[in-house]
Amino acid sequence: MNIQTKHISVKRYLPDSSADPYWQQYDLPVDDSTSMLDALNHIKEQLDSTLSYRWSCRMAICGSCGVMVNGIPKLGCKTFLRDYEGDIRIEPLAHFPVQRDLVVDMEIFLEHLAAVKPYLIDDNPVKAYDPRAPETYQQSPEQLARYKQFANCINCGLCYSACPQFGLNPEFLGPAALTLAHRYNLDSRDHGKKQRMAELNRHDGVWSCTFVGFCSKVCPKHVDPAAAVNQGKVEAAKHTLIALFKG
Amino acid sequence: MDKSSSQRLPPLKRNWWLKHRFFKLYMLREATVLPLVFFTLCLLAGMVALLQGAESWQGWIAFMGSPIVLLLNLVALAASLFHAATFFVLFPRVMPIRIAGHSLPDNAIVAGQWAGVVAVALLFFWLLGRV
Amino acid sequence: MSISKHGTQHKQAFDEPLWWGLFSAGGVCFAVLLPAVILFIAVLLPLGLLPAEALSYERASTLLFSVLGFLFVGAVVCLPLFHAAHRLRHGMFDISVGNDATNKKLMYGGAALLSILALGLVVAGMLG
Repeated sequence: MNIQTKHISVKRYLPDSSADPYWQQYDLPVDDSTSMLDALNHIKEQLDSTLSYRWSCRMAICGSCGVMVNGIPKLGCKTFLRDYEGDIRIEPLAHFPVQRDLVVDMEIFLEHLAAVKPYLIDDNPVKAYDPRAPETYQQSPEQLARYKQFANCINCGLCYSACPQFGLNPEFLGPAALTLAHRYNLDSRDHGKKQRMAELNRHDGVWSCTFVGFCSKVCPKHVDPAAAVNQGKVEAAKHTLIALFKG
Repeated sequence: MDKSSSQRLPPLKRNWWLKHRFFKLYMLREATVLPLVFFTLCLLAGMVALLQGAESWQGWIAFMGSPIVLLLNLVALAASLFHAATFFVLFPRVMPIRIAGHSLPDNAIVAGQWAGVVAVALLFFWLLGRV
Repeated sequence: MSISKHGTQHKQAFDEPLWWGLFSAGGVCFAVLLPAVILFIAVLLPLGLLPAEALSYERASTLLFSVLGFLFVGAVVCLPLFHAAHRLRHGMFDISVGNDATNKKLMYGGAALLSILALGLVVAGMLG
């Protein structure tokens, strides 16, 4: 095992003791398997217990350890120090208000998620019991394939930190919410498309996206939110045409 | 809970795109329309000249040959090719083509669009290039 | 958690699909047609690399002032202009220049005016 010492700069923000954020350097031993999250844990346990950050699963499932590494949104647990030479700067996720150190306020992201109703909406959820009726929510592999890629989102928020349109206008629903809306619109079991289209077909819905595409670059689950958002534009255009003809 | 209750940051400063290579390339892609507009205005001038008569038309060709105009139009040519390279890869992502339940590979769609560029160039050669 | 929003925030963007459709169509024209158009008309023609008769006054008039010329102008001038207008509008928002409502009117309005001018020139040539 090849152990060496690397320097990490962490952007600290402790509103109780200092009004402004500042950079703090730490030196720590790393090997080929040390992730950014391991490094933060090492700092917290061995060097400086005042450091605050979020984490839980350590395996890119929970989506809570998102930070900026050298200006790029990354999951701490999925980013390794072996891939970085020289300067390593860790900051809280961009475009979100910072609460303390690397902990950001994601309330606005959750609001945008809730706005698109990211769950199955059934026309008639309560039905009389019929023993001969097929099981509810049957779906063929082909029907699953239509939305499967877009269902891998773990709500880590990296795409929001990567999206300049969200940075320029926080009312923009943003990549993950629009992707999840598209994911449910594509689901054969869902009947909520009409409700979601009213949210998508707004200036702050799909139409604020300019296909920068950085959201898809940083997505740790390869969801390709930029593709979903722009497929949403096609759907919103169809929706508008139909609305115009129906009056 | 009211929507406005969550905190909002001020919008990004106007130089945000200078901070990363990816954003600079995005801005370059968006800026391809500037030389396009220049070429379009040249073309409009040419149409006016053509309407005015043979002398104006020759004058317009001479204007198009002046070094600055030629240079800007070479930039427009490069911009159109850069735009094509960035635009073609977006197409299969925005409109994935499915035939009989299978999606067409992205490479095939991109290659098909470049074939279109070549076909148009050949059409122009057939129309204007032969002696 | 219930999310209450003002009516204005729910306003449907009925115009955006039109601008985006024109932008997309113009983008395809810009990418597929414009490389050849710029190469032949703005580079080879002024450099004298085309045969002398290729775009003589008579031949250019015949080619442009026709139904095909009308379609050519639509695909090579009008649609790319709307493509450019859309990108300029969003680019101005990106670098915080002006206000989006005004920029929209200026950009799409400008594209529409120049398009009418271009198509009008072809019609004038066909009539004249």
